[in-house]
Amino acid sequence: MKSTQYSEKVLDHFRKPRNVGVLEGEDVAVGRVGNPVCGDLMEIYIRVKDNKIIDMKFKTFGCGSAIATASMITELAMGKTLEQALTITRNDVASELDGLPPVKMHCSNLAADALKEAIKNYKSMKKNEVAATQKNDQAIRNIAGEYDFLNKGVFHKIDEYSSFNDKRTIIVDNGEKTAQAAIEISKYTPRVVLVTHLRTLSVKSDLKIMLNKTDVKILYESRIIEIKGVNTVEKVLIHDLNEDEKYELFVDAVIIL
Amino acid sequence: MSIYLDYQSAKPVDPRVIQAMQPYYYERFGNPSSLHAIGDHATEALENARGIIADFINAQAKEIIFTSGATEANNLAIIGYAMRNRKKGNHIIISEIEHISIHNISKFLEKNGFIVSKVPVNQYGEVTLQKIIDRITKNTILISIGWANNEIGTIQRMADIIDLCREKNIVLHSDAVAAQGLLKLDVGQNPIDMLTLSSNDIYGPSGVGILYLKNDTRINPIIIGGGQENGLRSGTENLPGIIGMAKAAEITKVEMTEETERFLKYRDRLIKETLDNIPKSYLNGHPSRRLPNNAHFRFSGIEGESLLLSLKDKGIDVSTGSACSSKTLEPSHTLIATGLLHEEAHGSLEITYGRFTTEKDIDTLLDVLPGVVNNLRKLSPLYKEE
Repeated sequence: MKSTQYSEKVLDHFRKPRNVGVLEGEDVAVGRVGNPVCGDLMEIYIRVKDNKIIDMKFKTFGCGSAIATASMITELAMGKTLEQALTITRNDVASELDGLPPVKMHCSNLAADALKEAIKNYKSMKKNEVAATQKNDQAIRNIAGEYDFLNKGVFHKIDEYSSFNDKRTIIVDNGEKTAQAAIEISKYTPRVVLVTHLRTLSVKSDLKIMLNKTDVKILYESRIIEIKGVNTVEKVLIHDLNEDEKYELFVDAVIIL
Repeated sequence: MSIYLDYQSAKPVDPRVIQAMQPYYYERFGNPSSLHAIGDHATEALENARGIIADFINAQAKEIIFTSGATEANNLAIIGYAMRNRKKGNHIIISEIEHISIHNISKFLEKNGFIVSKVPVNQYGEVTLQKIIDRITKNTILISIGWANNEIGTIQRMADIIDLCREKNIVLHSDAVAAQGLLKLDVGQNPIDMLTLSSNDIYGPSGVGILYLKNDTRINPIIIGGGQENGLRSGTENLPGIIGMAKAAEITKVEMTEETERFLKYRDRLIKETLDNIPKSYLNGHPSRRLPNNAHFRFSGIEGESLLLSLKDKGIDVSTGSACSSKTLEPSHTLIATGLLHEEAHGSLEITYGRFTTEKDIDTLLDVLPGVVNNLRKLSPLYKEE
């Protein structure tokens, strides 16, 4: 079956998704699942009262079936006790939608996982920030290839921002000075990536606002582990610490200040 | 009828081509290998078609080998050349953004003792000469670089690459399927060794293609049989298909200049109005060194398959580099090679148009697109409004 051959029910939930949005409050927990390599990202919000899910919302970045499964699970779990909701499986969601194309069963059927995550977070009443920052709060380590490519695409200092003209540039986060450099370099090239092992950048809020106005792409909780190329830098190997996934990114310049 | 803006995937056959082909299914059905009159007529028609197609790229008729399409022509060029010349060396260079057939042919050769290096591209999808030079060794026998990219439409500096290969005495092949009919391909002016063309990409029937093989280039056949096509491609010729391809080449040669002017107007409107009207939208590929019939975008925070589905609901057929719409669930290798992250490649929209596209079709897309993008962004956890 082709990926676009969805059941009428999937198409209905895609066209008219139920319960889109976010929830806030002390009785709210969120389950966030996804995969930076495959690309889908899903957030399920639950509001719980007397052990029952009394409200649910979702947001999804993904294909048609990713949107439909999220929409469907909000209908399936609403009003259920946490124990009942935990029994909802990926297969339940798929069969309620009159099936998913086989190729989508794995990748775009994250809704049940996101709900379980939300319930787990509600029960422990710990927001996942705590765990995540602890896990990744380590100093910058050595990057393989850094010295092999020094001044052949790897830069330890910046003489002229304009020398990065039209270069795909990745900058390793090191506080205010690297955030500033990212903003300056983005005036010369459409492609600037700032990579940080942290969950948020530790820079002043006005700098954050300025960064948001540029097209600088920020990779959170990620680390460059290797620089590769023939004679000059061609790509970096990135480790997504949160998802423990590794992937390659094609770049022309790596700045490590 | 929906509005079709996916000419890169398949093109309709020009009605004039169908008309030219029809007699060859019944009245003139002959086999060019037969010695009787109807066979002679078939030979004449076949050689006439070969001449027209040779003329289309300014080649000699004997340099044209008919195949079952571009994929076969790519196989014949690369595997055929590699096998014939393996004593000279076992190293082949391709680019990161070649058509999937070239990538998979390379994998096949790697399993058979060859070494394949891939040349990276810059953020616009251009191969730079220095990066090819960096990879050339004394064992390099063949380089294959597509004339223009089929997804993002970037046009390579082929004249420079041809010069380099001649200087280094390395044979050069180019898959020119995306470029044909849109750019002038002249093998007299640009003396390349091997060139792949497909019939459907100039509005001919699918199932036909050619490999242009310069006079002194030696290759092995990959299909063995009755020795047709000078022994390089056995099997009874697909005469109606070949007649169709020749007719398509004849029409394209006459109409190309006017057609590409019209396409350029659409392209520049599509790019300008999309980037102007949709916040956080970006162009993939090169702003000017790109095919006239290609506009390729990405929109932050949204995914390509859901964009494709939404546009389908509005009666517009497009394409995307998103993994979610591919068989393998891998994002487009071309977009990744330009330096995009997977999530960015996911948000891409590929618009390709052609001979039967009207300005009204372009208007409709431009009207609908901002609303569709906006609706999908409301669902997205990755997009925050300013």
